[in-house]
Amino acid sequence: MTVKWLMHWQPNPGTSLSSQILTEACQCVEALGGTKDGRWKSSLTFYRPMTRDSSAAASAASSASAAAAAAEHPRDFLGLALQEQPNKYFFILRTHRIIVEADASIQNVMEKLQSYKARVVLNFEGSQYQLGDFQLRVGKCVPNQAESLRGIMMEVEYLPLSSIEKSRQVLEEFFDIWQEAVSKKSLPGHFMHIESNYADFGLQDHYTSQHTAVQYGNCMAQLIAAVRN
Amino acid sequence: MECVVQGIIETQHVDALETLLQGLCGAPKERLRVHELCLKSGPNLGVVPSEVRILCDLAPPSPSWTVRHVGGAMRGAGAEQISVLVRTVVESKVSNAALRFFYALGYKLDHELLKVGFAFRFHRGAHITVTVTSANKMPKLHATEEAVPITPSIQMVEIMAPAAADNYNEVASSVTCFLRIFGPAVTSLKTGGFYWDCSYGSRCCCLSHVK
Repeated sequence: MTVKWLMHWQPNPGTSLSSQILTEACQCVEALGGTKDGRWKSSLTFYRPMTRDSSAAASAASSASAAAAAAEHPRDFLGLALQEQPNKYFFILRTHRIIVEADASIQNVMEKLQSYKARVVLNFEGSQYQLGDFQLRVGKCVPNQAESLRGIMMEVEYLPLSSIEKSRQVLEEFFDIWQEAVSKKSLPGHFMHIESNYADFGLQDHYTSQHTAVQYGNCMAQLIAAVRN
Repeated sequence: MECVVQGIIETQHVDALETLLQGLCGAPKERLRVHELCLKSGPNLGVVPSEVRILCDLAPPSPSWTVRHVGGAMRGAGAEQISVLVRTVVESKVSNAALRFFYALGYKLDHELLKVGFAFRFHRGAHITVTVTSANKMPKLHATEEAVPITPSIQMVEIMAPAAADNYNEVASSVTCFLRIFGPAVTSLKTGGFYWDCSYGSRCCCLSHVK
């Protein structure tokens, strides 16, 4: 396993996302010497509780039962399907700092239980590049069955190491080079990497796909907060 | 989906049954030690009340976890023609955070068991697994080391085979064929009568001592 940094595009205040930014980011990768070697597609699903008293759940306003229900179970959690591990599925429950790695069949288990329903699916679609010891994936974040752009994401994977600490300096240096390349394009924003506290999720220094799931969870929280603001 | 037949045997005959299965199956015996936690959805969660089983396999040096959902038995005229129980089962290997995850989602522990015994896995028309286990209860929560048998004199026998919607008839036939050999062989061990009655909804075979 390698070490991966997930980055997302943070637009400048008052500016919006556009597919032109994605085009420019891909050009930056190619300008740095990256060669395209495939497509990238991962997906993130928002699961929300199904309650027996749906009216109470819908109007959380004053209903005591809705408040009690909310205290009993989380408002939502995420399911992540990664392209590089098609037989696996990950659940992310940020509020409780829980990551679960499962076989893909866990989605069928959730369907059978009828307690949480997959409500919104966000797809990450783009291209994959090789650049020396790095593998880069650049793509857009779009809702399932819609074309509206919700985000621009980038995965930077450093292939030779699996220790997060040992690879930190290399990834930081890559990040600086990348920011410099992007800044030359005078785009209205910048790429951000959110530092994740993996220990909170009980994860060690040896990087795994569960670490990637933590990053997706943090990144989604950031994107949702940005939309609300 | 899976085809399953369940029965019981007196503990005093388990060693003989093990020898018999060794001969019948031609497969090595596997040790079983599974901590099974049955969780039920809390009030108001889900369209209908639901139940999920979290299994922790304690036999290997490092425990592994599985989430298992057992659906209802197949019913109707088609099911009446089949002499084994056919039911939907979905399971998934999971990491060890699964139990905390389901608690956080609003599931509550209903009961827990430690199943100890052995299994034989072999292929005879279908991938058949025969397990012989004793169910143990824990005096304290999760205290598997202190588990004691619930029914010391009786153990559970299960004959299972995975199936799919397009082949459960064939799988059920394979399990039935195996039972035709297994049943008389058990009787020959002088464990008593072998009895299994298709009229029971649960398709139980009873391997108990009958005087």
